[in-house]
Amino acid sequence: MVNILIQGLALSGLYALLAVGFTMIFSVGRVLNLAYGVYIMLGGYMYYTAVQVMGLPKIGGFLFAIAAGIAFAVLTYSILVRRLEGNPVAVEIATLILAVVMQSLIILIYRPVSKSMWPVVQGVFRYEGVFVTYNLLVAMVVSWVALAGLLIFVRYTRYGRAIQAVSMDRKGAIISGIDPRRMNLLTWAISGALGALAGVFFATYTQLNPSMWVGPLIVAVAVVVVGGIGSIVGSLIVAHIIGFMETFTTAMIAAELRGVFTMVLIIVVLVVAPKGLFGRGEL
Amino acid sequence: MDAIKGFRRFAGAGALLGAAALAANAQDDPVVIGFIGSMSSDVGLSTLRGAEIAVDELNAAGGVLGGRQIKLVTADTFEDVTEGIKAYEYLNDVENVDFIVSGSIDDVSLGWFERMAEYRTPTLDTWTSYIGIIDMVVADYEKYKMYFMNIGTDYALATSLIDFGKDMLAGEMGWKSTVILQEDTAFGSGMGEFLTAELNAQAGIEIIETIVYDINAVDFAPIYNKAASLNPDFLYLISSVNSQVPSSQYVKLQVPVPMTGVNVAAMGRDFWDDTGGTGGGASSFSPLPASGMDHDPVSQQFVDTYMERYDSRPIYPHFNGFNAYFGIKNAIAAAERAGGFAPLDAWVTEMENTDVVLEKDGQLWHRFAYWKPGEIEPRTNREYTHNLKFDITEPYDDGVPPMVIVQWYQDGQQRIIYPPKYANGEFELPPWLN
Repeated sequence: MVNILIQGLALSGLYALLAVGFTMIFSVGRVLNLAYGVYIMLGGYMYYTAVQVMGLPKIGGFLFAIAAGIAFAVLTYSILVRRLEGNPVAVEIATLILAVVMQSLIILIYRPVSKSMWPVVQGVFRYEGVFVTYNLLVAMVVSWVALAGLLIFVRYTRYGRAIQAVSMDRKGAIISGIDPRRMNLLTWAISGALGALAGVFFATYTQLNPSMWVGPLIVAVAVVVVGGIGSIVGSLIVAHIIGFMETFTTAMIAAELRGVFTMVLIIVVLVVAPKGLFGRGEL
Repeated sequence: MDAIKGFRRFAGAGALLGAAALAANAQDDPVVIGFIGSMSSDVGLSTLRGAEIAVDELNAAGGVLGGRQIKLVTADTFEDVTEGIKAYEYLNDVENVDFIVSGSIDDVSLGWFERMAEYRTPTLDTWTSYIGIIDMVVADYEKYKMYFMNIGTDYALATSLIDFGKDMLAGEMGWKSTVILQEDTAFGSGMGEFLTAELNAQAGIEIIETIVYDINAVDFAPIYNKAASLNPDFLYLISSVNSQVPSSQYVKLQVPVPMTGVNVAAMGRDFWDDTGGTGGGASSFSPLPASGMDHDPVSQQFVDTYMERYDSRPIYPHFNGFNAYFGIKNAIAAAERAGGFAPLDAWVTEMENTDVVLEKDGQLWHRFAYWKPGEIEPRTNREYTHNLKFDITEPYDDGVPPMVIVQWYQDGQQRIIYPPKYANGEFELPPWLN
């Protein structure tokens, strides 16, 4: 049981970081950005390139990764999504295709083979026979810090409140003098940064692979569907539900069924509570 | 009447000239060898490069079958069953191949296998080791006799793994219990079932539990924690797909239990870079000729040519690269003896008569021969028609064992630790276990 508690807590922190950027775009722009997994993939590959190929220090790797995530997100919004505004299905199809194209590009540059990344922080934490990497524990702490920072930004800064306003009532926000496109652009940039940051930890925790964007995207979609058009706090709670559920399934039921219950949860929530467990509150 | 006779003479002369021209053309036509496999994976590229080297050497030596040049054509399977079937059809319908060399994975080979029986095209596999395919050849020889598998089947590989368990894991290390970490694939379940049935019976190693995981799993922390909590002497990994994931996470988590078994990623020389230089202490089985092995002179010449010619990954040929190189040479030699790849029966008979022995320091080091129909392997008491002839009985003086155990060291070196005949290194555990 200690095993599940420690593992679940650490994994859930990473999942929360993976999902929150996706949730933001869905809440503000009301579109499912299926290219979100690309930010995670880019984060991983850019950090790898900077640190393991170019030999830059780790902080340089983080900056490189986050810059790439922001740049890609801003370009995606400016060139693609903005022109498809008002047509969420078109946005979803276009962003999904974009993700597949980016995967092919990564294969072209890095080859289709998996690569192992050095952990951001070396070492293993051991307690009562349970072992967890410091890397994952740091990811959990970074996740909490990032989410707390995001919460403060959204609730207590002018730009954050403007994003909230667009999220709640686009027309009302326009009447109040807020430029929704500018706020959307800002949201996409934040989403890109969070996705890339999560990507670095996800890749160092697991591995680099051109299809690594799919798994986190499923987690992100699950968080949005189960949590509803949600709040940051709601995303955090749902990320923990999924993280603990997966850890429990692996440890107590069967490892090969790990992801199945997440899928079942999505279906159950869609049928029983279509608005999600936490409905639509503030961002 | 004379006019008719004249026309007949003219027509007869024309026919003779036409036949002569056709014969001349046939003489000039290249022998077409098709490669089928993934052209972006290490597996596929190893086979393709082995084939390229063999073809270039044969062409440089004056050609084959009366001086004809060999033309190598390719069809990409993308490691997908449907694409594999289309690729096999393309090679036959469009390229009119005489012979096919395959670097396909098991599932893809199974996909095109029935097409092969329809086209009746001589085909040699270099990676696939699925016993089910050989069983089909055994069950319906007439239908599938054009197929040869240039690697010992997984059944033979598993038998050798039991020996490794008995001699080294239990015998030398004193390990008596294990937890199997088994990927959820046909290969994984086949290997797992065999180990479950035989590991305790033959090697005296108790299997405490088998943990089956999805091949797309990216987080092995809960799996390793669960396995370690069962207190086994070692973990037995069976991983042929995405093997870097369990390997690298084993290192990152510094799992406090030794691990060995089947780790396909660890077979190749690129494993070191793929794990960011953290693969020291990893060990895995590998079919022969393996990376890390001391080679016989002919195989070493192939390695030297490969290393000189290719500077991209795979940086060193996998075993199937050797198998493609020698397999094509054997297939061509059989065709020379049979007068070509057609008629099929003549080529098949000559291929069955293949017996190429490679020696190192006066010892049999490698042997390319194939089990004949009706021939019984004594230890397992079964037929392996058209499978590479392996020897699973010590002292391996009648052939080669189906596999060796490859060991990685902290300095990035790769060596062989089992069986003793091929060993050039020692079993080593990861540093945190010492």
